[in-house]
Amino acid sequence: MRSRFSFASHTTKALVRRDFLLTLKGWGLYLSAFLSLLASSFILKSHLGAIKENNILISSDPLNFPLFISLVIVSFYLAIISVISISREKDQGTLEVLFYGPVNSSSYLVAKYIKDMLLYLVMVCFFFVYFTAVSSLTNLSFSWSLVKAIFLSIFLVSCIVSFSLFISSLTSKMRTSIIWLVGILLAFLAIQIFHTMLVSLEEEALSSSLLYLRKTLEMVSRGTGWISPFSYLNRGMQSIAIGSMRLYGMSILYSLVYSFILLVSSVLILEAKGVRG
Amino acid sequence: MRKSSLFLTLILALLLGALTSPSLGQGPPIREQLVYSLNLFNGKTYAPGFCPRSEDAIYLIANENNAVSPRITLVYFWPITARYMAGFKTLNEEIEGTLELLKDGKVIRSLEKEDNVVFYPDGFFAENSRMYLGEEAHTFFQKYEKATKDYYKRIDEYYEKMREYRDAFNKFLEDLSKRREAGEELSRAQVEAEVPRQPGSPEGVRFYTTPLAKNYILNLPEGVYQIRLRARDGTIVQDSQKNLVAFVQRRGGTIGYEITPGNRWTMKESSNDPSKTIYAAGKNTLYLRPFLQDEYNDLYYKKLLDPQNEGTPERWIWVHTTPIENVLVVLLSKGRLLESIKRAPYYVKQIPGPELGYEILEYSEEEFAGRSPSFEGHKLEVSSVSGKGNYAFHLEKREGEVLKGSEREILFVKKENTNLLHLISIFPLIVGLVVFVQRKRSIS
Repeated sequence: MRSRFSFASHTTKALVRRDFLLTLKGWGLYLSAFLSLLASSFILKSHLGAIKENNILISSDPLNFPLFISLVIVSFYLAIISVISISREKDQGTLEVLFYGPVNSSSYLVAKYIKDMLLYLVMVCFFFVYFTAVSSLTNLSFSWSLVKAIFLSIFLVSCIVSFSLFISSLTSKMRTSIIWLVGILLAFLAIQIFHTMLVSLEEEALSSSLLYLRKTLEMVSRGTGWISPFSYLNRGMQSIAIGSMRLYGMSILYSLVYSFILLVSSVLILEAKGVRG
Repeated sequence: MRKSSLFLTLILALLLGALTSPSLGQGPPIREQLVYSLNLFNGKTYAPGFCPRSEDAIYLIANENNAVSPRITLVYFWPITARYMAGFKTLNEEIEGTLELLKDGKVIRSLEKEDNVVFYPDGFFAENSRMYLGEEAHTFFQKYEKATKDYYKRIDEYYEKMREYRDAFNKFLEDLSKRREAGEELSRAQVEAEVPRQPGSPEGVRFYTTPLAKNYILNLPEGVYQIRLRARDGTIVQDSQKNLVAFVQRRGGTIGYEITPGNRWTMKESSNDPSKTIYAAGKNTLYLRPFLQDEYNDLYYKKLLDPQNEGTPERWIWVHTTPIENVLVVLLSKGRLLESIKRAPYYVKQIPGPELGYEILEYSEEEFAGRSPSFEGHKLEVSSVSGKGNYAFHLEKREGEVLKGSEREILFVKKENTNLLHLISIFPLIVGLVVFVQRKRSIS
């Protein structure tokens, strides 16, 4: 067990450095950041349009939803590049070569995880710049809740990255990995979005078929509540909304436990399946 | 052709069959059933209801008096509202026995019926009421009875005074015409000074107390319990077992506002959460009504209002419990006091025209005699063009004594910058370009 989970820090550092710089020098990161912020801009524009139309809008944190959309796009990007890099290295035999050296499953997967988290921290910088500019341009408040939401997003991304590592440890082909990852994440996201939408509507406004759908989604959400990475963000956002630091801390702790379990599982699966999958 | 006519005949036969079916001509089936008649505290007042056999749980607010009473009545399903209805007017049979309260399968209390009344300090249609038990219930009921008797006595006196007034008035008119015929010239002021005065109608009883009732009173700490009724012969009454959920608020005693925007007064907004900001886009008048409020789980609260309701366990709702009166709304801009606003009544006057179609005017009894105000509130006039910038407001009981949690912000969005939003999303690409150029340079 000790050898399985022991990893040389310098090897991990070297792997992180190599992958991080490589991604930083490519266009993908900047393009995904641009697309995520563009999507936020569209949402903000329609939000401002609604205020203009009604003359009044009461909202706690109007920037939280655009942040959520940006976050989803960026986390999909990070998850996909993680899966692609692992699958490619498996396909091309790079992983096998690495494993002949001082690299083992744990150091390899931890390096991938840290690299993705560092990339997300770069994204966080973009978010801070973007939302500060939005706030000063539109007067929508850059609140303490938004700062808390951005901090919380780091842990959601941790969940998604570890989930993507888990999926890539299970599959051997790049295409299969991407299809599984995107399919599952989209399904989780769709359940969460539709459920939130139906929950926010008054019962009287729902037809009987929508009521049944809401009940079904309620049950499905309860089932996926501890599996879906997005539900961890949802818990955190609710704790921000009610201003409970205890629940906020708990949601961060849950996310860390989730990431840890998936990372350990990924290492075990990779060990069991071997580098050739 | 033959196929289609056969199909049509079949459809017609089915339709005729359905129309002549005996079920269409009959009302819904009515069944005798044990139900729990409820009088539960909903955070501000007591609301009656009933729990049919189809529902296995009764939801109530913890640490408050709640009255339940098992009864035999007629129950039928009303398909239009998809609810069971009770015909208490036709059958309302009380069941005698002891109500047993269980927790984790053990009987923790055996309850007997208690005398109770619901007291409405501001009248039956006001928003608040309290339940009183035992001796206190009798005292409050007697107090109401006495007040009602006194009122009827005052009414009798009033009718007597009115009769006297009418006689005096008729006599005054006769005298007046005689004096005029006699050539006496009377000025308007003289006539007004001599005319008999109409007596004022007596003031009604402002409060209300329900008649004395005998129910099982549940005042429980938060938790899940079971109830069942043990008959006098020691057996458990069939269908009397129910789960009981006593719940508390998630957040309580905070201050919320009902906001009536001047440009659409029928569509009220709520600012329940102190963290919520009011965003405005132009000149607007806001009418604020502050409330004390509690936040409850949607499922529990809706089940409390009616056990047949569907609720959503993931949702939380704010319930405005007590209106906050005798306070000032203090409007500030950049920390500077702009004005202290008192609560006032307003009247919505319908006006013809293509614009809003109404006008909100300050109500006064003289100006709108015989009409009641449309609403009451603290009037805030805010504008982004006045150069005052963003606003903030809070409640003050006395000067300088800010009510905690009453602070809100009003921010004016800058509509003119909306198009720049897309531009600022380009900046990651600019950073990418810088990295790309740097890399190219280092390679070359």
